[in-house]
Amino acid sequence: MSNTATLTTDSKQTWGGGKSPLSISYGKLMMWIFLLSDAFTFSSLLVAYGFVRFTFTSSLPNAIVKPFSHLSHSFTEEMQKAGMFVTERWPSPELVFNHFPFLHGLHLPLMFVSLMTFILIGSSVTMVLAVEAGHRMAKKEVERYMIWTIIGGAAFLGCQAWEWTNLIMDGASLQSNPFGPTAFAALFFIVTGFHGTHVLSGVILNIIIYINVVNDTYEKRGHYEMVEKVGLYWHFVDLVWVFVFTFFYLI
Amino acid sequence: MEHTEHIEHTESPANMKKQIMNTFYVLTVLTIVDIGLYFLLLSSHSIFKNILFIFLGLVKAFYIVSVFMHMKFERKFLASIIVLPMLFICFLIWLALTEAGYTFGLR
Repeated sequence: MSNTATLTTDSKQTWGGGKSPLSISYGKLMMWIFLLSDAFTFSSLLVAYGFVRFTFTSSLPNAIVKPFSHLSHSFTEEMQKAGMFVTERWPSPELVFNHFPFLHGLHLPLMFVSLMTFILIGSSVTMVLAVEAGHRMAKKEVERYMIWTIIGGAAFLGCQAWEWTNLIMDGASLQSNPFGPTAFAALFFIVTGFHGTHVLSGVILNIIIYINVVNDTYEKRGHYEMVEKVGLYWHFVDLVWVFVFTFFYLI
Repeated sequence: MEHTEHIEHTESPANMKKQIMNTFYVLTVLTIVDIGLYFLLLSSHSIFKNILFIFLGLVKAFYIVSVFMHMKFERKFLASIIVLPMLFICFLIWLALTEAGYTFGLR
């Protein structure tokens, strides 16, 4: 044990030096500060979305398509004629995000994005289980849970790529939007793109950590704190998705 | 093992694994409730519907931060450092929505 364990833990001595006053290492505190700044970035993007959303009237109630009903190839044009997709009104998310892989032509509103949400929650759980195994210095368990976390993150990215492809094929981009106001598609791509970039860097960090775990780097160091730090980042990505999901798909 | 170092950290409780699984169930159930409520309230554009969804999102965020990110077991001082600056976001929301109200009126 190092000398920190022999120092007094008297509360008067909290800021007296010789120990960390917050009972947290420098690296972890800095990760928290970084996440705070990242939270500001994401909230300004979401507030911008809220601002633009507020300046448009809400969509008409959908009495045309029911869940599981068949979609024609000219679904977007039909919706435009029916007044559901017009530039003056914000589109209803259930009519925009209604595709599911391998179930082409069925109206399955929000089903795919719910699946993405569950994938991300699942990979968050395996991450925190890896952190928990790291506390017990159980190398094999950390390895196993890290692999599941990486798979979950990669699956989420794949889902997002599929969803983006679908919307781009329909004609949505930063400058055009067949579903209604241009700002809807622009904000969707910017915010989910920014979140997806975070997921991508999280997956890369997880892979680096996994390689280090396999190579006994943390076993030699005597602690698995690096897994905790990257874990904090990974949970933050999940946390942001909770709000992206709420604002873009539910409200 | 001569190069091992000691780092300071707050200990996790003995039932950590149980708490993790409970949090997982809470998040799953709340997400299902979210989707259910979305279809139940589809034709409504009430402000209370938005508040309800934001509230459910905040509950999920609370569980992720407190258990998954270990904040529940850290020093209270650290929690304040991270959570209190979030009040600035509330200010930004208030500003943006007020401005958006005017912009809507100009359309």
